[in-house]
Amino acid sequence: MELFGQTVICGILLGGMYSLIAIGMTLIMGVMKIINLAHGALVMVGMYVTYLCFTYLGIDPYIGMFIAMPVLFFIGCLIQKYMINRLVEVESILPENQVLLTVGIMLVLTEGIRVFFKSDYRSVITTYSSNTVFVGDMSINVAMLIGFFFAMLFTSLLHLFLTKTDLGKSIRATSQDRDAAVYMGVNSSKITMITFGIGSALAAAGGSLLLPLFYLFPDIGHLFTAKAFIITILGGMGSTMGAAIGGMILGIAESLGATYISMGYKDVVGLVIFILVLLFLPGGFRSLVKR
Amino acid sequence: MKKYRWQILAVLLVTFGVMLLASGCGGGGSADTVKVGVILPLTGDQAMFGTMEKNSFEMAYEELKAAGKTKVGDKEIQLLFEDDQGKQDVAKSATEKLVNQNKVAMLSGGYSSACSNVIAGSAQNMNMPFLVVTGSSDDITKSGWQYVFRGTAAPASKYTVSFWNMVDEGVVKLNNVALIVENTDFGKSSADGFRDDCAKRGINIVFDQSYEHGAIDFKPMLANMKSTNPDMIFAVSYVMDAAMIVKQMKELDFSTELFVGGGAGYTMPEFKDNSGDASEYIASTTLWVPNVAVPGAGEYFENYKNKYGKEPDYHGAQAYATMYVIADALSRANDFTSTEIQKALKETDVMTVMGPIKFEDWEGYTNQNKPNTYVVQWQKGELEVIWPEDVKSTDYVYPVPKWNER
Repeated sequence: MELFGQTVICGILLGGMYSLIAIGMTLIMGVMKIINLAHGALVMVGMYVTYLCFTYLGIDPYIGMFIAMPVLFFIGCLIQKYMINRLVEVESILPENQVLLTVGIMLVLTEGIRVFFKSDYRSVITTYSSNTVFVGDMSINVAMLIGFFFAMLFTSLLHLFLTKTDLGKSIRATSQDRDAAVYMGVNSSKITMITFGIGSALAAAGGSLLLPLFYLFPDIGHLFTAKAFIITILGGMGSTMGAAIGGMILGIAESLGATYISMGYKDVVGLVIFILVLLFLPGGFRSLVKR
Repeated sequence: MKKYRWQILAVLLVTFGVMLLASGCGGGGSADTVKVGVILPLTGDQAMFGTMEKNSFEMAYEELKAAGKTKVGDKEIQLLFEDDQGKQDVAKSATEKLVNQNKVAMLSGGYSSACSNVIAGSAQNMNMPFLVVTGSSDDITKSGWQYVFRGTAAPASKYTVSFWNMVDEGVVKLNNVALIVENTDFGKSSADGFRDDCAKRGINIVFDQSYEHGAIDFKPMLANMKSTNPDMIFAVSYVMDAAMIVKQMKELDFSTELFVGGGAGYTMPEFKDNSGDASEYIASTTLWVPNVAVPGAGEYFENYKNKYGKEPDYHGAQAYATMYVIADALSRANDFTSTEIQKALKETDVMTVMGPIKFEDWEGYTNQNKPNTYVVQWQKGELEVIWPEDVKSTDYVYPVPKWNER
């Protein structure tokens, strides 16, 4: 029983942080209608910003996160404004090909970081990194709890932002029907720029929350892109709540798989769910709510 | 106006392409060089190891050059590095590129077992001598490939020779052991060897699982393992997984009398840096230690540290020693055809920082050097040799104190 509890709790906590990364991706996917394969690389860049703040300025990663987020917001806006929007404007380039640009951005970011930091593994060791609280015999990592708390906080804030503010409503309008939104007077290129910025900032937040628990090297982005992609499909493209739930489900499924099947098949469990969802629930969990 | 822009872009692209082509061919030197292709993971998640090995190759090359040993006959040895990104398909195309386009005289490199295996297979098919640096899975030298040589790396199942010696001498007493390995060729080979050795001595394996590398959370597996109550854990992991595993064991308050790593990650300085005090008393098998009683080992360690600002571990020493083996073999070859180089390699008997290197056929292995292995243990943040007895730098700590008794 304790083993089961330990497994599920770890799954939920980790899933919460996966969600945050995936929400950034789903937001961009909803508005832009393209898969952003550079998303994991943006997470990685965000982690390096937090890492730098920690090693050179001694700033705690949870505070460093609030430096990494604006930096990544800015980088995201630049990428959108000067790279992706330029391609979107050219009609002859199909959306499928716009995805290739994001692959290019990913490579440039990864190799750019490698020039400065080499391929070394780095990690942030804080005083509380391996502190744990025991609930019965279950050990819960403090950094994981804090990470989960922040992830949920950002998710709710984003939800409020999208449903309550004018800007948030414009983002949703653009994602539902871009042309109609333009006719209603929404400045779509500005909206896409802001959306990409917010998506990147959330990616940075997710990465920074994982930093005290995990480690960092230039190629780590692939891992996050893959996870975020699975979650986005699970939750339904463009749905924040779907992504939040999808993240938890992926986290729990991976944990259960690791405990009761084998750690070697952890990723297989996630991918099997991914295929099942595509086959039987092509719209993701969002389509369940809509019915 | 827009149309013109595209034309300018097209012209730029073509120019760029031509430049790339030119630089690709420009590397091919003149007739007075003998080229050695070295395939290592220089990008991707094994890049840290690949970079260390490339640095060591270059360091050895410069030393040899200063001693005039890179000139063999009337030709100069030239190293050509290729990146395999840690991927088998890339390793295969890198091999073919080096052999067919660059016309190398021989190949070396090979970090991961999976990539080394691919390179070895294609090298054998093309009758191209290949000297493995690190790739350790047993089947690389067990396939009867005459053109494949492995000097500086032991077969994965033989990394534990010294450790089993420790068990047989009665120093370590084992009843129930747990085994966790990453699911790569190296991990599988090590696990097979370990299982056989346990079976021979009647030791129970109470937990036996493989895992996918790069996990954030190892607790499900560790909690499972804790419930089986093993005396000892044998683990084969890359460096960051290794750090995550011992850190999370500490978090779970899971102590065993001994934790032995099977080389790879557990001897790296990064392992200690990233796992903090959780690395204390963790033991590992290894093929090389800087303070080993072999001439040049200590100097290599110091020189590397001064030059690159980082401590090398046995992977770097493997590459460094391999460069010396290559220079030695090429200096003895009658000409630089693959048969002659193969013959020269086969007759190798040279002393390196990894100990004496000789390519022999034994126990089903072909062209495999007989390995020296050591058992090391992290004590007060230093990696100390604890076995074999005659080369130890300090006494072993066994059984290891529990987490809450430290």
